[in-house]
Amino acid sequence: MTTPAITPMPALPPTGRSVRAYFAPVDRVHGLPTLFDPSVNGRFAASTPPEPWIELGWIEDFARKSTSKFGELVTGSPGTTQFQIRETVDATVAFRFKAWSKLSMALAAGSQHMNLIVPAAGGTANGSGSKGVTPVNLATGSTATFLALAASDAAGFSAGSLVTVDVDYAAQTGYVGSGVFAAYVTSASAVNSDPDYIRRVSFNVARVASVSTTGTSTGLQLAQPLIAGVPTATMRVQPISGFVDREGGSFFQEWSALFLIDGEQGERILFHYPRLQSMAGAAESTSALVPPLERIALSASFRALPVTDAIDGEQVVCFRSFLPSPVTLV
Amino acid sequence: MQNAKDTFYITLRTRLATVNPSRTMTLRAVTRPGILVQEAEAPMPQPLLDAFALSWTGLETDLQLSAILAQMTCEIQYSTAGTQTNAGLDRGRALEEMDYEVLKLLYPYSAQKMNYTQNPAVPMETMVFWSEPEFGPIVTLRDRLTRAAKVIVFAYQEQGEQ
Repeated sequence: MTTPAITPMPALPPTGRSVRAYFAPVDRVHGLPTLFDPSVNGRFAASTPPEPWIELGWIEDFARKSTSKFGELVTGSPGTTQFQIRETVDATVAFRFKAWSKLSMALAAGSQHMNLIVPAAGGTANGSGSKGVTPVNLATGSTATFLALAASDAAGFSAGSLVTVDVDYAAQTGYVGSGVFAAYVTSASAVNSDPDYIRRVSFNVARVASVSTTGTSTGLQLAQPLIAGVPTATMRVQPISGFVDREGGSFFQEWSALFLIDGEQGERILFHYPRLQSMAGAAESTSALVPPLERIALSASFRALPVTDAIDGEQVVCFRSFLPSPVTLV
Repeated sequence: MQNAKDTFYITLRTRLATVNPSRTMTLRAVTRPGILVQEAEAPMPQPLLDAFALSWTGLETDLQLSAILAQMTCEIQYSTAGTQTNAGLDRGRALEEMDYEVLKLLYPYSAQKMNYTQNPAVPMETMVFWSEPEFGPIVTLRDRLTRAAKVIVFAYQEQGEQ
């Protein structure tokens, strides 16, 4: 059999419209990033990235910078560079998130990112939220998109509200948070043994689509799946009203990142940073729509940390992949 | 985008009925608040006096968001010749009154997007919002004074919306 011959074009300059960002959790306890394999998933559909990557939409002002340092070995007279050495490997990446969400805000803020738990009556005022209302227990039958609750508990929520779903804080130390390591606790006293602390920092949040208080299956239908998947029996649910981050804090968010530029001729450029840590505090920038209306974007900048490439044991901080257009010579 | 346009018009019409209940017009044998959408009425040789006429002109879209953001230009044109009682000598005052009404009709600068193709109208998920008005110069034609105010209306396209 002979296939029809193609008539290729010479290599063309890639022309892309913008950059899309995807993030995935890093297992901080075991130091395991989420690795993206371009040979397996390089041609994934841009709006449905492979698990566990989470799409955070279009970003703007995307800027990669290599800050690796090079040295030279000079010999002879006059001195002539004979060899180069790579003294340090370092890279940064910066951009702006167009959309605000729990995840984009946390990534941009860099430190612990907190949920504003609906306060209990009479609480003491606090900048990141006061003591929350009593959490409710999950019943059996919950899924990533349905929280089974007793009818009386479900009646306390409304469609459109926000919830955080996680375990009680019970003197754990180290990384905490279901699905994503959201904070690092050095001691119970450091967080005042607050039973709500994990739910306060958890990424396991969602918006309630509808509430069912009658019938055999009562609970909350979620408008989006929980990042930690099916909740465990020990998780509890609290209503939240929004999010808060702080300038300061001791924790560094660390995520695996993937950036995609789709070219107009079918080519694809991918930048994969297995480990990105925030390197700046919370900041915003604006762009005018029609004055005085302006769009407010989240500024984010990160430092890339190394991983070991299993192929040759080299320490690297970023992988740049190019999947050529099907019509060009390579 | 039609839902956003409908919402903008109905919002202004509802507000006009409160801001100035006496500003009415009779069109197709129906008396109603003095505001209309030009593309939804029969062509007119010249604009109705003492009424607001909306015309949709520009359209831009931002496709690089999770939902398409439509940015539509609406021109609100209005003309007056003053009142017969005052032989038209109050036409400047009458236009100033309409200028002020435009400001009041547009504020607050947002409204819940509604689907008016259903009866009763159904609230949608997002808000329609718009810019502050940009007033054009007065155009004088014989005894008429005319002005147009440009407003940029923004709306996100929702799932299933045409």
